[in-house]
Amino acid sequence: MLKKSAFIAVPALALFAAVAAASPAMAASTSTSYQATLAPINGSHASGTVVVTVAGGQATVTEKVTGLAATFGGKPYPHVQHIHVGGKGVCPTTAADTSKDGVISTTEGAPFYGGIGTTLSTSGDVSPAAGTTLTVAPAGSTFTYQRTFPLNAVTLASLQAGTAVVVVHGLDPATLSAAAQKEKSDLVPSLPLAATSPALCGTLVASQVGMPVGGAQTGGGGTSTGPNLGLLGLGGGLFVAAAGTLVARRKMARN
Amino acid sequence: MRVRNENGSVGGHRLMAVGATVLVLAGLGTVAVGLWGNSPPPQPPTALTTPTPYPVPGSPVASPVTPAKLTPARLALSASVPTRLVIPAIGVDSHLIRLGLNPDGTVQVPPLALHSPAGWYQHSPTPGQIGPAVILGHVDTYSQRSVFYRLGDMRPGDHIAVTRADHKVAVFTVDRIGDYPKADFPQLQVYGNTSTAQLRLITCGGDYDAATGHYLNNIVIYATLTSTHPA
Repeated sequence: MLKKSAFIAVPALALFAAVAAASPAMAASTSTSYQATLAPINGSHASGTVVVTVAGGQATVTEKVTGLAATFGGKPYPHVQHIHVGGKGVCPTTAADTSKDGVISTTEGAPFYGGIGTTLSTSGDVSPAAGTTLTVAPAGSTFTYQRTFPLNAVTLASLQAGTAVVVVHGLDPATLSAAAQKEKSDLVPSLPLAATSPALCGTLVASQVGMPVGGAQTGGGGTSTGPNLGLLGLGGGLFVAAAGTLVARRKMARN
Repeated sequence: MRVRNENGSVGGHRLMAVGATVLVLAGLGTVAVGLWGNSPPPQPPTALTTPTPYPVPGSPVASPVTPAKLTPARLALSASVPTRLVIPAIGVDSHLIRLGLNPDGTVQVPPLALHSPAGWYQHSPTPGQIGPAVILGHVDTYSQRSVFYRLGDMRPGDHIAVTRADHKVAVFTVDRIGDYPKADFPQLQVYGNTSTAQLRLITCGGDYDAATGHYLNNIVIYATLTSTHPA
């Protein structure tokens, strides 16, 4: 019996060691993450977080925002958003408002956060060309955005240099001064200034952890259903067998 | 029930008595295992896991995630792979394997086998380094309790000792406990940058979804490095 279990235990241990040793090899070789806490600008009162994980030339962006302007012309408000690159890698202060209209426009913010490196669109093109395409912008006051796409070289370089900045655009026009409400967008003249001005901004910094996506599957469920009815039944069966043995013994004694 | 010595079948009687005793003991043992071995894992009380909103910079409530006792940066250690995890409060003593990422970007977990150890996520700092070191373990297997079965019993103030390959032990003290739906896992709160040496212990919690074969929640223990000593 001892010999047999030892015989089983050795290959089992070997298998386990092999699995344990294989684990790191199965993992993605490198995984680097960048994180940003998005702060409100232009008095948007919004907030959010962004994680960008780069592995094998692909970027996975996970973003959660809340408190943005909810509607625009009766429809969910489209919030164009980008990773800006090549600037100072910071978010603009009120000093950026050179026109003194109380609003930091996208153009006024550019010396701080740079130009568009990647458009965080919901589908299709992620290049700067899609920068003002409202139909592929996430919409509404609160949204979770997650997308994986090939990362272009200029955005990667800016991430590594610590100068990549996430900017989410689109203000509630009602929060602007009467004069600013009448202004046209500096980017898309057919739109009001509020529609394209920055609402959230955060610099992407290197993370200490290569961020996993989602939660961890750390259970098999074996104890989720409470007492093991099979074992209880087996125990009951053993009691019956014990009683049967005693009855048989008594019978034998009488004979 | 007295057995006379002159009875020829005394051996048989004795054997049967022993057999009955063995059967009763086996029955008791089986019932005990059936009851004890499979009671659902302990869950942290909701009073301890009430979510704190993620801090908004510039707002007056910007520091609820900061542990009460800040570790001086000088307490932090350089990098060294962790080899063993000991948690006296819940009877855990496990060697540690290395875990990476699955192809879909989710975190790897240890093998779902009996006596499966806990594992250190190799894309996180090593325990004792500045930043959040991440250790994962199963709450149960398909049939039995596993290494982090009692993680939900941990409380602020409990100690966690991690032995490293450099023969140093990093001792962490629990700050708080999180209980999150996997569908809305607070990635940045759990894995985000920290200015001190931190530890995150992660296992499963909440209800079990038999359709997917997964628990719906994750329990996360947040701890801060409070001392180090030679192994």
